[in-house]
Amino acid sequence: MNERCPQHIQNIVLRDYCTKMKYKYLLSGAEYAMNNSYLMLKQVVDEIPHIDGIVAYSIFQMPEVQNERVKIYNNILDKNGEIHFALENLKIASSSEINKIENIWLVRQTIPNCPSNLLLD
Amino acid sequence: MDDIQGSQFLEIEDRNISKEYLEKGFIIGPAANQETLTWIRKSFIGIVKKELGINNNIDTEDFLDLIHQKIDISTLNDFRLSMISKVNALPGFKQMYYEVAKPYLDSIVGNELAMQSKVNLSIQLPNDNSSLLPVHADTWSGDSPFEVVVWIPLVNCYKTKSMFILPPKESMKLNKNFAILSGENSEDLFNSIEKKVNWIEIDYGSILLFNQSLPHGNRVNMENETRWTMNCRFKGLFTPYKDKKIGEFFEPITLRAASVSGLNYQFPELK
Repeated sequence: MNERCPQHIQNIVLRDYCTKMKYKYLLSGAEYAMNNSYLMLKQVVDEIPHIDGIVAYSIFQMPEVQNERVKIYNNILDKNGEIHFALENLKIASSSEINKIENIWLVRQTIPNCPSNLLLD
Repeated sequence: MDDIQGSQFLEIEDRNISKEYLEKGFIIGPAANQETLTWIRKSFIGIVKKELGINNNIDTEDFLDLIHQKIDISTLNDFRLSMISKVNALPGFKQMYYEVAKPYLDSIVGNELAMQSKVNLSIQLPNDNSSLLPVHADTWSGDSPFEVVVWIPLVNCYKTKSMFILPPKESMKLNKNFAILSGENSEDLFNSIEKKVNWIEIDYGSILLFNQSLPHGNRVNMENETRWTMNCRFKGLFTPYKDKKIGEFFEPITLRAASVSGLNYQFPELK
């Protein structure tokens, strides 16, 4: 979604979130820079239940394709894990929480197609 | 183009509210649900008493007005941030906030809305210059011009115990001559518009909706009572966002069935 915040700033946000939530911050995983790479994310998901869950910087770091996003959420939940999103202060710890995040995603993807002015003859 | 396009489709009351909003840059009206507002105020007072260790059951009308007798300016911002956190954690608080303003939001913004994720709180003690908001338009710092602020006082607000706003016509004049009128700093800017601003007079029980793309702000509170006001932005869910984005700052609150259906629509796949 063309969201780009410097990695060291993302790490500050992640650490601050974990401190506020009293989570033990283990290690940050930086995704590969190639377009549409989610290899690192999937690797971290595979580490659940050795870890309790994942804190991501933003919901908009998830895959742009809805099916792929929801697959990741369900993988995490199936392993009894959670995923948190520090910037938006949102989380998915149960399937009932997916809808709220998906609505935000879908609205965000729709906005570029909405008019920003009304040009009338 | 500030007239309401297709206004013949609007109810008379909607047209009147819209006209007033476009002409003045704000509207003031009674809270849509006084019981809800009373709940909000009582909740605030409960939290304040806990924060300050006040154990009595006294809940006088001027409790909030006179809070400056119990808080020091040096601890004010920490107190305010703690209040914001606790109030926003109250179950149903945001729904209540929306409910109090709903009919006005319906008229001015629409019924499919995004709401700021956290309701904000201003506390302005008498003679305190540490809580000032110099004259500004929120659009000057990256807000979308499609946003509306719902400003809810918990006390009566008047003169410098309130905020000022520059009316739309004056704002347009300012925009055309900004380079000259803005001077060297925000104080120069205020001095150039001081005689043209409206000081909002609003009693507890009423709410204010204002256009945050108009210059507004506050000055040192020279009255002998503390100002307590909440503020929260709303916008049409599908109107353009700027620096304050959906997700990190706004969340959808009244997504309608047609939009839910449209957002989730997927073309059949041919494989």
